[in-house]
Amino acid sequence: MGRITRRYGFTIAGIAIGVAGIVALGAMGERIVRFIEGGDRFVLGQISVAGKGMGMGAGFTAGGMLPASAIRAIAAVPGVSGVQAQVMLPLNPSTSQFMTLTQELILGVDLSVPSPNRQFPTLPIREGRQLRAGDRGVAVVGASFATSHGLRVGSALTLEGEAYRVVGVLERTLTAPDRFVMVAIEDARRQWVAKDRMLRTIIASGAAAVNAADLNTGAAVGWRDGEDPDAVARRITERVEGVNVQIPSELSALLRSSTAFFSALLGGIGALAFVIGGLSLANTIAAAVFERLRDFGVKRALGATDWQLGREVLAEALAVTLSGGAVGVALAILLGASVDRWAARSGQQLFLFSGRLLGGALVFSVLLGAAAAAYATLRVVRLSPAEAIRRGA
Amino acid sequence: MLEARGLVKAYATPRGKPPLRVLDGVDLRVAGGRLAVVLGASGSGKSTLLNVVGLLEDADAGEVTLGGERVSALGRSARSRARGRYVGFVFQSFLLLPSLTALDNVLLAARYAGRAGADARRRARDLLAQFGVLERQAHYPPQLSGGEQQRVAFCRAVLNDPPVLLADEPTGNLDDANGRVILDALRARARAGAAVVVVSHRADAAGGADAVYRMRDGRLESERAVHQGGTR
Repeated sequence: MGRITRRYGFTIAGIAIGVAGIVALGAMGERIVRFIEGGDRFVLGQISVAGKGMGMGAGFTAGGMLPASAIRAIAAVPGVSGVQAQVMLPLNPSTSQFMTLTQELILGVDLSVPSPNRQFPTLPIREGRQLRAGDRGVAVVGASFATSHGLRVGSALTLEGEAYRVVGVLERTLTAPDRFVMVAIEDARRQWVAKDRMLRTIIASGAAAVNAADLNTGAAVGWRDGEDPDAVARRITERVEGVNVQIPSELSALLRSSTAFFSALLGGIGALAFVIGGLSLANTIAAAVFERLRDFGVKRALGATDWQLGREVLAEALAVTLSGGAVGVALAILLGASVDRWAARSGQQLFLFSGRLLGGALVFSVLLGAAAAAYATLRVVRLSPAEAIRRGA
Repeated sequence: MLEARGLVKAYATPRGKPPLRVLDGVDLRVAGGRLAVVLGASGSGKSTLLNVVGLLEDADAGEVTLGGERVSALGRSARSRARGRYVGFVFQSFLLLPSLTALDNVLLAARYAGRAGADARRRARDLLAQFGVLERQAHYPPQLSGGEQQRVAFCRAVLNDPPVLLADEPTGNLDDANGRVILDALRARARAGAAVVVVSHRADAAGGADAVYRMRDGRLESERAVHQGGTR
């Protein structure tokens, strides 16, 4: 391998650059795919319900207030296995309530009820512990939130003037929960009131009879085994008044269509990376064979058969592409890590170097290198040895 | 034994001009143990003749027989094997592979003949020692002088003890002293039983030859035949 590296230093460098391009662009694509897939898994794992209307809550709970009576009515619908009241608010109310990659959210959950989401019964914890029933004034934060705010287990966190203690940090999921601050629903309700002047005014005026238990922006609803979640969601719509029910499959389709632009962009970037990187790689290997035309002519003059020559070229091409591929992967990871270190300051991660991406890039490189080498060898062996020596001189 | 009959070879020329007929019905017969020298001006076709009889290039017509086997009719891979079995080449520009050491360049011939191993390595070292370049065995061609490169190339050509040895202007890039070493070595190979053909534009290459020919207008003309029985 050392001999190969010395002899083909520039070829390996050329391949490495091509592969690094493919892997780096692919890693950005993987990052977006993970976000979209994570969101899709989440919405397919539960029926999301919000109150009819607008102006309350954020994310999948955006809509009107969902009072305690509605939650009780949903729980009574046949096929429903559990209902967890939730309050989801933007951490900073001045930002848009549109769910974005960067939005930081407060999620208050009713800890007396287990999470009904079938895909995420609990979010994986990296450090500390999950929230428990009876918790007050404590928070579990997402990985990006923790990084961007410099939080660890035991850190103090102030929300709307209230002091919270961080008791857990979630594993990085590369999806929305990375920017969550999870608290008990009772704490989230106080946050809501503190953030929402109109709500404070209504409660103070006594114009509406609002109990604390009515302050929910939405609910996560589970279904019994064997039930069709879409059918259960439609049943809730029919039987409970004043609610907006998201049909899981429709929400998934909506999510996918809303991310269609990203998916198309991603596909385009991936295709471009493969074409440009692939062409660069194939061209580098073929050029490396053609520039040794004279050597091949000499070898054939010495009695090398097509098979012997082909085997030799293929072995060298594989060694060169593997070396170049490995260096390219390392380069891309290095580049990605550097950029991500910078992006982490704002809680971002731009690259995801998944196993399938790295393995795929290496397999792609080797196959393409072998194909280019085989093509070049076939061209070379068609020449007479004398012609190869003449042209290579 | 090398035998060529009725060799014809023409090269394509720019549009509108007739093909350039370089070999025009050439016959050549060199028995084992004989040294034949083909003289001719640059561009007279003597290198093409060597390429065709050495199976480096196809003739348009005619046939080549090596060691009693009609090799010109063989397919590409069989011709490669025949080339490795019957022929050793010495080129004017040495044609050593720059990425290999002197020893590895010599051993290439054994590798493609399927004889790579300790014996081939020992013989390669013996040959390098015989030609005074053993201490340069680990050097790469760019680190060798022209004379040293040609001696290494000669070792490569004779490693498999081929019955036919073809040398194309073997002294063309050498000084007189090194040229003499190579010509002496070619004569020695002939004396050892090989059929040796040397093409050159220098008349002094014909010294000690059993037969001397001249290429002119695509034809081979005999200038001198010392042993009529051995050459055409």
